[in-house]
Amino acid sequence: MIHNRTMIEPKPAPSSSVGPVAWLRSNLFNGPINTIFTLIGLYILYLLVVPTVQWAFINADWVGTTRDDCSREGACWVFINARFTQFIYGLYPRSEIWRANIVFAGFFTLIAWLAIPRLPFKHWVAVFALVGFPVIAYVLLHGGYFDLPRVPTHRWGGLMLTLLLATVGMVGALPIGIVLALGRRSNMPIVKSFCVIFIEFWRGVPLITVLFMASVMLPLFLPSDMSVDRLVRALIGLTLFQSAYMAEVIRGGLQAIPKGQEEAAAALGMTYWKRMGLIILPQALKMMIPGIVNTFISLFKDTTLVMIIGLFDLLGIVQAALADSRWLGFSLEGYVFAAFMFWIFCFSMSRYSQYLERKLHTGHKR
Amino acid sequence: MTQAATNNPGTSTSDLMVEMRGVNKWYGDFHVLRDIYLEVKRGERIVICGPSGSGKSTMIRCINHLEEHQKGEIVVGGVPLTQDVKRIEQIRRSVGMVFQHFNLFPHLTVLENCCIAPMWVQKKPRKEAEAMAMQYLERVRIAEQAKKYPGQLSGGQQQRVAIARSLCMHPDVMLFDEPTSALDPEMIKEVLDVMVELAEEGMTMLCVTHEMGFAKTVADRVIFMDQGQIIEENAPEPFFNNPQSERTQLFLSQILGH
Repeated sequence: MIHNRTMIEPKPAPSSSVGPVAWLRSNLFNGPINTIFTLIGLYILYLLVVPTVQWAFINADWVGTTRDDCSREGACWVFINARFTQFIYGLYPRSEIWRANIVFAGFFTLIAWLAIPRLPFKHWVAVFALVGFPVIAYVLLHGGYFDLPRVPTHRWGGLMLTLLLATVGMVGALPIGIVLALGRRSNMPIVKSFCVIFIEFWRGVPLITVLFMASVMLPLFLPSDMSVDRLVRALIGLTLFQSAYMAEVIRGGLQAIPKGQEEAAAALGMTYWKRMGLIILPQALKMMIPGIVNTFISLFKDTTLVMIIGLFDLLGIVQAALADSRWLGFSLEGYVFAAFMFWIFCFSMSRYSQYLERKLHTGHKR
Repeated sequence: MTQAATNNPGTSTSDLMVEMRGVNKWYGDFHVLRDIYLEVKRGERIVICGPSGSGKSTMIRCINHLEEHQKGEIVVGGVPLTQDVKRIEQIRRSVGMVFQHFNLFPHLTVLENCCIAPMWVQKKPRKEAEAMAMQYLERVRIAEQAKKYPGQLSGGQQQRVAIARSLCMHPDVMLFDEPTSALDPEMIKEVLDVMVELAEEGMTMLCVTHEMGFAKTVADRVIFMDQGQIIEENAPEPFFNNPQSERTQLFLSQILGH
């Protein structure tokens, strides 16, 4: 029997088990097989990274105005430079680009304001972002008011159009998706059937078909004197398509909430909408962040499909520029640039969702 | 059965809080509640016991329409329970319920759990709702945890918060659905103590529980249910010392004998 032993004071761990050398030893070189894998991995990395860096940076040409400024030993970023305005604004008239710039600035300011937790008046900023800002953006981009010359939507393009499609799609698809998900769980047979049919219809057709139908078939059904802007049709098609996916993501989250939560809320006398809005959805949406962001990211990339109905989003305008006879042969640079722009936005969304998950997780683990 | 109520000095008023007349309920073909007749006066404390699957929980869940009955009449505080959603919500506002698994809202702090219904259902201003919530949290001796989330509390603490949350709506009746069954033994007492105090203050209570000590201390009436029926109904003393039905005797010998 052991009792009354003197307490052992805490000591630092032996130096061989802490620090970078120890980390290397225990993670990369902790045995002959692991060491071989590490070395092979490093070699492959070397084979890939060195030529890429050489192509993209060291041998690349950055300044100039025509293709003759490129040595062709590395990437020719001159092409991107020369076409940059077009890639961002599409065919938007040069003299009016300041209008698009104001919208861009407002857009990124609002997003940053809503994303950075320290900043105050979140509710009012959110209301403005959803109600006031779209009106301002429309007036500025489209013109026709306050002596601003009209810029028809077929001249909008590039990153501006991609962001517009993605933002409207996300902002529209989330609430419609929530309503559809709630409807699908409803006890009311008509509401339920409508939601099931809606979701299954939109999930069952490819987005390309939706866009084709919106641009080719819809005008056949509308009276001949009525025309809906092509961009608006694409936006509606994209939003409805994504809301069906969103609905299923959200329904998954709703199902994970224990039944007792709704019972407890009901027992307190809450109405259906209060039970959902105050108790069920806040918990469900938090759990669904990865799924929602996943849908957002795929939506963001799906916007490239509007190319097939003649709208020039970021990828579409890059492709159009590649066909320019003065710049033949730079498709690699063009696609790398487009991929990089898409990657930046999608990666930011992914990081922000991870941050949100961590932030919302603190305090109340179950 | 009325003698038991009048014997107790706490229950002098005679108006009925809950009336169940010929209530029947089926789950598909399964007949869970069979011809339930029950009258509960204001201030009466009723303990309901019986083997599992006997319909005790279903019966009290019918009172606030968490379960729907298919036949018979239920009247709560003079208001007949119908399919009408507004009517159901009105009744639910006056009937508190405490669940076996607490069902606190995990995304809200203890204080917010208590305030949310007074603020959103009764439209009380936040300050008033919070002050009242703190009062009730103090009564269940958990005020110091008000800023914590339910997941940070022990089971017994969570159940006391759940009781406070119900009390914040100033209910006329409290329903307890096996409030101590999910608790570790050392936590049962802290919850029962709160319930005994509540009973002593004259709250009308219907309590499904196997805590026979609690039944002996506070109940005006003990109801024994089996196979969806009320088998026996009596004041605690005769119920425990001289049970009439065979099934009651068997049940009591099983739960008191171990």
